[in-house]
Amino acid sequence: MKYTTFNQVNNNPLIEPMFFGNPVNVARYDQQKHPIFEKLIEKQISFFWRPEEVDVSKDRVDFQKLSDSEKHIFISNLKYQTLLDSIQGRSPNIAFLPIISIPELETWVETWSFFETIHSRSYTHILRNLFGDPSSIFDDIVENKEIKKRAEDISKYYDDLIFATQLWQTLGEGTHTIKGETHIITMRELKKKLYLCMNSVNALEAIRFYVSFACTFAFAERELMEGNSKIIRLIARDENLHLTSTQHVLNLWAKGKDDPEMAEIAEECKEQATQIFLHAVEQEKEWAAFLFQHGSMIGLNKEILCQYVEFIANHRMSAIGLGQPFDIKNNPLPWMNNYLSSDNVQVAPQESEISSYLVGQIDSEVSAEDFGDFDL
Amino acid sequence: MVTIKDHKTVKHPPQNTLLETIEQHQIEIQYHCREGYCGACRTKLTKGQVEYKTDPLAFIDDDEILPCCCFPISDIQIDIG
Repeated sequence: MKYTTFNQVNNNPLIEPMFFGNPVNVARYDQQKHPIFEKLIEKQISFFWRPEEVDVSKDRVDFQKLSDSEKHIFISNLKYQTLLDSIQGRSPNIAFLPIISIPELETWVETWSFFETIHSRSYTHILRNLFGDPSSIFDDIVENKEIKKRAEDISKYYDDLIFATQLWQTLGEGTHTIKGETHIITMRELKKKLYLCMNSVNALEAIRFYVSFACTFAFAERELMEGNSKIIRLIARDENLHLTSTQHVLNLWAKGKDDPEMAEIAEECKEQATQIFLHAVEQEKEWAAFLFQHGSMIGLNKEILCQYVEFIANHRMSAIGLGQPFDIKNNPLPWMNNYLSSDNVQVAPQESEISSYLVGQIDSEVSAEDFGDFDL
Repeated sequence: MVTIKDHKTVKHPPQNTLLETIEQHQIEIQYHCREGYCGACRTKLTKGQVEYKTDPLAFIDDDEILPCCCFPISDIQIDIG
């Protein structure tokens, strides 16, 4: 079906499925088929932040104090997160918007992607502070074997859905031969691709960031790289919300509360969905091994990080009906929760030392002399 | 009163969220956002009723609650898994 930017059919969006119904026409939010997406938009917008408002200048000094193995951990994680947000800043828009059929979900996807672009900009902010010229770091993202391996796995489900959607939009359902390759495009196949893609995105938001988050917060526990940690905390808060949205989509499908065919597909492809998740878990464990190949950092090693990935995976997988495949019951990194709690993210600008409010602020230095006239 | 499966039965002060009560008794429970949008504290409610003062945004099943933002309105039984 050809995409139209303003569908002239006077359809009722309240009876459209989330995906593959009529294209959206009026962007209206007075009535919603799935009000949760409108609520997520409101929440996400209330989280708005700008990387430049977070003072990262002290990190430059801290960074010089890190050992070589710690520098490797820190920089590799930033590269990996840059990759993840590069993909997430564009892909939900390109893959999902052309096939979405309800306005609140359309706007949620746009809002979600926009926040991923804030994350991408924040990595430049962090790296520019550390290096002056961070180009070699960015250049390595498309060279580094470990990162490329993940990039391929994350983007393939998106790319597959996007290509199939393009064929469907231009040629319709049927068997199409493009450059000698045969592609069978049916609505069922498209929906399957969508289902797998959504599972892959869900796994990304659920666990792919967490090895890197754990390292960042382990530095912060030692009062190192705290500007970076403040930014990552804001990113983690957003990612938690994004995860909530993909969990909602998957559960609306599985529980038959949207498109009945998607409920069938969810049942049919459950094993594949589980494999996507478990594969992401394996990759994250490999990533932990890569990070610690030159040595550990205080408070964290490969084993404990792998346990944490399993612990998080249990929680995330049970949320979408995939059970708890790992034995681990207790959180091996309980201090992580303090960093992931929104109580500890400054939200009221007038409060305290305020990373989130000062625009172009400079003064983050406090010297002993400042306390010179104090008497105890 | 709040009965937590495989742990104990504890008294719930009305001003607390359920999560705060559980934490005050040193019972390990997972949490992240503490505002109802991430779902990390998702817990099974096996008996009784709770209310929310703000809408929970995270996905929860019909028999599940979010301790971080809910308040029991009767004696309850929960299973934190």
